[in-house]
Amino acid sequence: MFRSMPTIVQFVAYSGLAVAVGLSSAWYMVDHGSLLTTGRSGPWSVWSLAGNPDADPYTRAHFARQGRLPVTSTSALYYSTDRDDEGDRLTAECDYAIEGQPLDAAWWSIAAYRESGRLIPNKAGRYAFSSRDVARSGDGSFRIVLSAQARPGNWLPTTGSAELQLMLRIYGPRAPRDFTGERHLDANLPSIKRIACP
Amino acid sequence: MKVSWYGVVLALLCAGIIHIIAVLWIPRIAPRNAWTRLSTLADFNTLVVLPRPSPAHQSLPLMAPDMRYAICRYDLSRGPVRVRTSIPDELWTIAFYDPSGANFYTIRGADINRDEIEIVVSTQTNALLDDETSSLVGTEDSLMVTAPQDRGLMMIRAPLAGAIYAERTESALRQATCGRMLPGAQVAR
Repeated sequence: MFRSMPTIVQFVAYSGLAVAVGLSSAWYMVDHGSLLTTGRSGPWSVWSLAGNPDADPYTRAHFARQGRLPVTSTSALYYSTDRDDEGDRLTAECDYAIEGQPLDAAWWSIAAYRESGRLIPNKAGRYAFSSRDVARSGDGSFRIVLSAQARPGNWLPTTGSAELQLMLRIYGPRAPRDFTGERHLDANLPSIKRIACP
Repeated sequence: MKVSWYGVVLALLCAGIIHIIAVLWIPRIAPRNAWTRLSTLADFNTLVVLPRPSPAHQSLPLMAPDMRYAICRYDLSRGPVRVRTSIPDELWTIAFYDPSGANFYTIRGADINRDEIEIVVSTQTNALLDDETSSLVGTEDSLMVTAPQDRGLMMIRAPLAGAIYAERTESALRQATCGRMLPGAQVAR
C-alpha cells in the first residue's frame, strides 16, 4: 500500500493536468477564437464562419455560449472589439473617436455595449449609428465619438466606468469574395482612437 | 515525485480528447443559449415580434438596437409549419436555426423578387408523410425548407433604414404569421 502511493499521486497529478489543459484550451479557443476560426483587422475580430451551416465546432460553441443567432457571412458580417487601436481595453471612463470611410455594403451599424452584451442606458436614447443615420463629411467618411459627456456630431453615449465592447454589423457586404467565397472588408474598417481620459 | 515523460504525453493526449468533447458538447449544454433564452418568450408555432432592444429589455445579448426582430419557435412533430411575411425591404433576412443555434437556412430580401414570401418548413419525414399535406405544400410560390429536426427557430431580421422607419417596420413584422398547416385548410393565394 505504502509503496503504491506514488503511483496514485502520479495518476492524480496527470489526470489533473489532462483536465486542466483540455478544458482551459477549449475555453480559450471558444471564447477568444484562434487563427483557425477568427480573422483580425486592427482591433476588430470576426468569426469567419459565424452563422454558416458548415461552421466549425468552435464557432458553433462560441455563439451558443454567447446566446446569439448570427446569420451567414454572405448576408452579414459581425466585427466586434473590446479594445482600441493601441490594444487598450475600451472603458466608459475614456472618450474615443471611431473614424471610418464608407463601407461597401447595403447597411451597416456600430453599437456600443457593456461587457455583458447589454446596451448602455442613456438619456439621449442613442445606442448605435447606422449607415442611414450617421452624419458624414463631404467625402462620405464619418466620425462617431464615444463619450459619457454630450458631444457635437455623432455622439454615442456611455455611462459609468464599466468596460465596453463595440459591434460593427455589416449587412449585404459587397466586397469581392476571396477564393474561399468569403467577403472581406478588413482593409476599410473604422479606426478607434482614444481622445481623452480623466 | 519523478516526472515520467510517458505520463505527460498520456496526459496531453487525454487533454486533447477532453478538449474535443468539451467543444462539441458546449452548444448542447450551454445553459443560456438562444433557444433557452427565447423559450419563455414564445410558444411553439406562433410568431412573436421581439421587444425593441433597449438597456431594460434585450431578449438576446448583443442585439442590434437599430434592427427589429421577429421569431417563431416551430415544432414539426405534428406536421409542417408555414411562415408568411411581407418583405418591404431588401435588407430583411429570414434565417432558420436548430435548437443548438446552428443556422441551416438563410434567405435575404435581396434574393427575393417579391413583396411577400411564403415558406413551408417540414422535416424529411413529414414532407413525405401524407398526400393531404403535400398537396397543401405544393403551391408554386412557396419556398420549401427541410429542417434537420422537429424543433427549431425561425428569425426575421429587419434592419431599420432610419429611426423614422421603426413604427412601419414593427407593424410589417406584426403582420407576419407562423403556424401549423392544418389538413384540409386551403392555401390562400
